[in-house]
Amino acid sequence: MTVTDRPRISLLGTSALLFEAPGAFDLPHQRRIWALAATASKWPGIREAIPGITNMMLTFETPPRELDTLIAALNDGWDAAEGLAIGGREIRLPVTYGGEVGSQLQSVAEHCNLSIDDVVAIHAAPLYTVFALGSHPGYCYLGGMDPRITMPRRQTPLQRSAGGSVSIGGSQTGVSASPGPSGWHAIGHTNWTFFDPTWPAPAALAPGDTIRFEIERVIR
Amino acid sequence: MEILSVTGPASIQDLGRFDQYRFGVGTSGAMDEVALRAGNILLGNDENAAAIEIPMMPFKLRFGRDMAFALTGAGVEAEIAGRPIPPWWRSHARAGDVLTIKAMSRGARLYLAVGGGIDVPMILGSRSTQFRGEFGGWHGRPLQAGDTLPCASSTAAIDELGIEPADITLARPDAAADQTIVRVVIAGEYDAFDAATQALFWSGRWKITPQSNRYGYRLQGPDMKPKAPVEKRSHGIVPGVIQIPPNGQPIIQMRDAQTSGGYPKIATVIRADLWRVGQARLGSELRFEQTAYTDALAAEAEMSTYLDRLRTNVRLVEELRACR
Amino acid sequence: MPIEISHIERLAQILSRSGVDAIEIEEPGLTLKLVVDTGNRTAASATLAAADAPVTHRSIIAKADVAGQFLAAHPWQDKPFVSPGQRIEDGAMVGLVKVGLLYAPVVAPAAGTIDAVIAETGAMVGYGTPIARIRELN
Repeated sequence: MTVTDRPRISLLGTSALLFEAPGAFDLPHQRRIWALAATASKWPGIREAIPGITNMMLTFETPPRELDTLIAALNDGWDAAEGLAIGGREIRLPVTYGGEVGSQLQSVAEHCNLSIDDVVAIHAAPLYTVFALGSHPGYCYLGGMDPRITMPRRQTPLQRSAGGSVSIGGSQTGVSASPGPSGWHAIGHTNWTFFDPTWPAPAALAPGDTIRFEIERVIR
Repeated sequence: MEILSVTGPASIQDLGRFDQYRFGVGTSGAMDEVALRAGNILLGNDENAAAIEIPMMPFKLRFGRDMAFALTGAGVEAEIAGRPIPPWWRSHARAGDVLTIKAMSRGARLYLAVGGGIDVPMILGSRSTQFRGEFGGWHGRPLQAGDTLPCASSTAAIDELGIEPADITLARPDAAADQTIVRVVIAGEYDAFDAATQALFWSGRWKITPQSNRYGYRLQGPDMKPKAPVEKRSHGIVPGVIQIPPNGQPIIQMRDAQTSGGYPKIATVIRADLWRVGQARLGSELRFEQTAYTDALAAEAEMSTYLDRLRTNVRLVEELRACR
Repeated sequence: MPIEISHIERLAQILSRSGVDAIEIEEPGLTLKLVVDTGNRTAASATLAAADAPVTHRSIIAKADVAGQFLAAHPWQDKPFVSPGQRIEDGAMVGLVKVGLLYAPVVAPAAGTIDAVIAETGAMVGYGTPIARIRELN
């Protein structure tokens, strides 16, 4: 993939726009995205500024008549964005690796030419940062995974993957908050409540929070 | 009112939940926004009032008290207490009356709106059912026989009245029978496909497969492969986005879609035509027509004009009655 | 209650706002017809004569109660609401009058058998225009 040094801005019909930052999938870039989102969410006509993985979607309250001003503001905003260091909470999440839910543990090990123990150790080693929420209610995209356990997404998504699945998709990892379809590879599971619509903030975690996976068990 | 029988996933929907993306919560909401608004306009409701979206027949329901109701969206064979109900129509039920909906002859989703709306709790700003999160609507799930739904208020008797269905007023030229032409704005990865593949996208007759639902429409047609495999970092997506997964067959994201994805996006169905996708039947064909952003806004304005005219026309009837 | 000038003004405002061409209102002893002058007058008098033709049995007439364009079938449906010989209930719908984007029902004032649908689809009708002749049940 070629990486240009300017952001890419593209339309999602008339209801939203996508801003993709240039550069690496890392925390410094993500912090600039958080900063840009915090600014852009206050612009008139913008409903929400939603951070993705080194990108951001803007949804429109009312679609702008012409886009040039908005595009210029995004480019300027990116150039001006100082990394926003969010001092989040640190969560410890006990994980059962392998087993019925984490049935792809073996295939990830084979794909990466590693032993099961290696995959588990590599996956549980980093302190992950919640980069963004998305996909389904309460789901967190985590940054910080070791590239040695990268595995491309599935060709065809699974119709149903369990809630609490810890999975790998490309160079990303995350924990699903509820059962549903998934194009990722589940290597373990955790019992934790990530989302409750009755909470004041419905998602348990927010961008900037950190997660440490604790190896509770490894089922081979 | 009590659901007596239901086939397929009928659900409570309003216009949707629009400002919760940052928590991973998608819009949900009526697949045919125009039909929902029209039903609510007919009843003098807030246009965001919750209604029942019914994708499959038969469907049967008993009214618990005197109540105004409206049917919009799909063309169906419907009866209230034995009297036939024309399409896009409001009527009045007495306590105990049974509404029976049999065959669906046109379109894919019927909306049953009631005077005052269906009074389920507002959760995160909407009454729409969030299936994945299992909240909103009626206990976050599809309706089942035996469910007794609360209604906001019983309304005084109203006259029967119909309105012109949106697909007549907002007719699009040149659509063959069993074919829906929708306008799209090209998206981020359009240029990841070579010219010949792009041409296939525009000329293709895309069959709507049976794996199409509120989450997405999976289409079948020419093989759409990008010049090189594209694996993008996860980013926000909205209903209408057309993704091309590795199997080369497009998926149109619909109202229950995930809020983010990483497959390449070739185009996005414009809001003014998304309701047409929601009413396109399984097995029928879709075709895509490229449109510019400004023309997409003009199409939205045309949709708003239709709804504005409906509002004024329906109000006229009420004002005339008041004058007499 | 007589119709007051202020009411007429109000009605005229409502009409011009809503894009509806004409409306007729009947009060005891008085009929009011308001037509927005678009330079394109329409009339439905031809159908009136048919309704007045002598009939040998006791008939009742279903009449339009609003001015607009008559539709014997809903535009989405091929089959008309009623056809000659059909038994209908009191209050059954025999057709529609299209006014702007509205479809107002024309209903049978009594149960019976349809003798004829007098109005033609597409014809402009007014308040009181006969739409269908119904033979009353004995």
